Amino acid sequence: MIIGEKIVKEFGNPPQRILHDIDLEIKDGEFVSISGRSGSGKSTLLYIISTLDYASSGTVKIDGRDMNKMSVEEIHCFRNENIGFIFQFHYLLPELTSLENILLPPRNIGLMDEYKKRAYELLDILNISHIAEKLPGEISGGEQQRVAIARALIMDPKYIFADEPTGNLDSSNGNTVMNILKETNQQKGTTIALVTHDPGFAAMASREIFLVDGRVSDTYN
Amino acid sequence: MLFLSFKQLFSKKKQTFLILFGISLGTMLFITISGIQLGLREYITKSLLNNTAHILISGRENTIERDQVYNWFFPHKNIAWITSPFGKRRESKLENYAGWAERLSSDPEVYDFSPRLSIQTIIRKGEITLSIALTGTLANRQVRVTSIEEYMSSGKFISLMSGGNKIVLGRKAAEDLGVRVGQYIDVLNSNGEIIPFKITGLVSFGDDRMDGAIAFAHLADVQKLNHTPGRVSQIAVALFDLDSAERVAKQWSLFSKDKVEDWKSANPMFMEMIKMQDIVRYFITFSILVVAAFGVYNVLSIMINQKRKEIAILRSIGYAPNRILELIMYQGLFLGGSGGTLGLFLGFIICRLVGSINLGFEIGGSNHLLVSYDPTIYMIAFGSAMFASIIASFLPAISASKMTPIDIIRGS
Repeated sequence: MIIGEKIVKEFGNPPQRILHDIDLEIKDGEFVSISGRSGSGKSTLLYIISTLDYASSGTVKIDGRDMNKMSVEEIHCFRNENIGFIFQFHYLLPELTSLENILLPPRNIGLMDEYKKRAYELLDILNISHIAEKLPGEISGGEQQRVAIARALIMDPKYIFADEPTGNLDSSNGNTVMNILKETNQQKGTTIALVTHDPGFAAMASREIFLVDGRVSDTYN
Repeated sequence: MLFLSFKQLFSKKKQTFLILFGISLGTMLFITISGIQLGLREYITKSLLNNTAHILISGRENTIERDQVYNWFFPHKNIAWITSPFGKRRESKLENYAGWAERLSSDPEVYDFSPRLSIQTIIRKGEITLSIALTGTLANRQVRVTSIEEYMSSGKFISLMSGGNKIVLGRKAAEDLGVRVGQYIDVLNSNGEIIPFKITGLVSFGDDRMDGAIAFAHLADVQKLNHTPGRVSQIAVALFDLDSAERVAKQWSLFSKDKVEDWKSANPMFMEMIKMQDIVRYFITFSILVVAAFGVYNVLSIMINQKRKEIAILRSIGYAPNRILELIMYQGLFLGGSGGTLGLFLGFIICRLVGSINLGFEIGGSNHLLVSYDPTIYMIAFGSAMFASIIASFLPAISASKMTPIDIIRGS
């Protein structure tokens, strides 16, 4: 459960307000999409509710814990176990094979061997078993993004935050990614927050949040 | 993190090996320069110690002092000299050899000591005469106090142990006289008496001027020759620890009128040379390591800039800042450690090569350069390679760990 209260985000000097007093609640097991035009602050909001960024004022509580009051170590530990990120770019480490990239989160806490089986399962589910030992430079864009998704899913996180995960993909690969997210939400009960500017993909979520000029709105415009 | 560090390092093989090479070059140079310098120094020290020993105790010079003469002969009078008193009262000698012998035998820091009486004499074979410094010693102690036995070119120094007018000549002196081991030569004392000595050995220190003007005999024989029974002009002392000589000499000089001189103060030129050498050696090493450190710093800084995105994603996966610090530091440590190790091997090999070059002239009993393999050289070399790379990787590592994922993701 993520509760955001009066989230304000300001950038620059003099401060320019990107987000205005946003109240937001995401329940466990929900699939929420956040959409809006570019510059509406949707990505900023996502990063604030996902521990990557801090609000200028206001509070974010995840599972009852106030993000502002957690130490750096605690936040990283929490991310490691509970949060999976998918970005517009795959951000795979170019020196590591697909399998090694997927196993990065468990490697951080010394549980790599325990998660190997799960990694192969994910590769199988995502239809990319054949590229397990390949480097990111040797595979296609759609495959890269699926490896990144597998990396986000490996720890069976409670939350997945996706920032334009389809932004760099053609429509068929985009659909594949969206279906994977939806299935994960339905089968595992993973809470998913998705940022997209594509109305079609936004509509696939169980709840849609629209942002217009840093405020929650009833409609896309 | 080790795994990732290596993966990242080996993805840039050329850069990595260049830096490795730079560090190992610095380490290697230090080892080679130090090996040669310290080897040469050991050789010089050894030959110096042959003449002076760790500590040399000798009689004070007894010059006539004007004040003493006034006070003794003309107390409270004003005297004008036509020729003022000047000169020595007597030959310098140890006041109390027995006392010294007792003290030295009971001192736990003393390895052994050897009393000496050195006199100037003339040796003669047929028509040819030669002026030499003849040193009377106790051979069994002399060989313990100095390494003179190693410098014997024929015969044994220990043959002087039994006395009975035997002499060990400098090789050049023997050449000049045209004599060999087993032959007899005449030794003239200051009274003009001629006493025959049998040559039982030749010694060569590698310096012709010295080898042409020295000879050794039994202490009692020299005392008899000089008509000074029981006289000792010097005591050569060997300590267990060469480097404590300065301190011990200072201590002893407090309770004796005699002159107590350690080998360092007896050879101020040599000590200055050593200091200069050390400064040059450390300066060269320092400059090379600074260059290597800049290399490490550069490689890591560039790498961090290229890897901003990867660092961001690692952070978002849950790798805390300290883990990122580790990631970079491991790479620096690896560069320093393996570059240093490689340098140790290269340095050792070069030292062996240099040591095997035939110089074509004799130095210290062989015709090869003496190279030191003192383990402390290797420890200092490796230590400074590590130190330089730790310092050089720490700054980039800190800046990498301070990057926040959001700035990088937003920026791209």
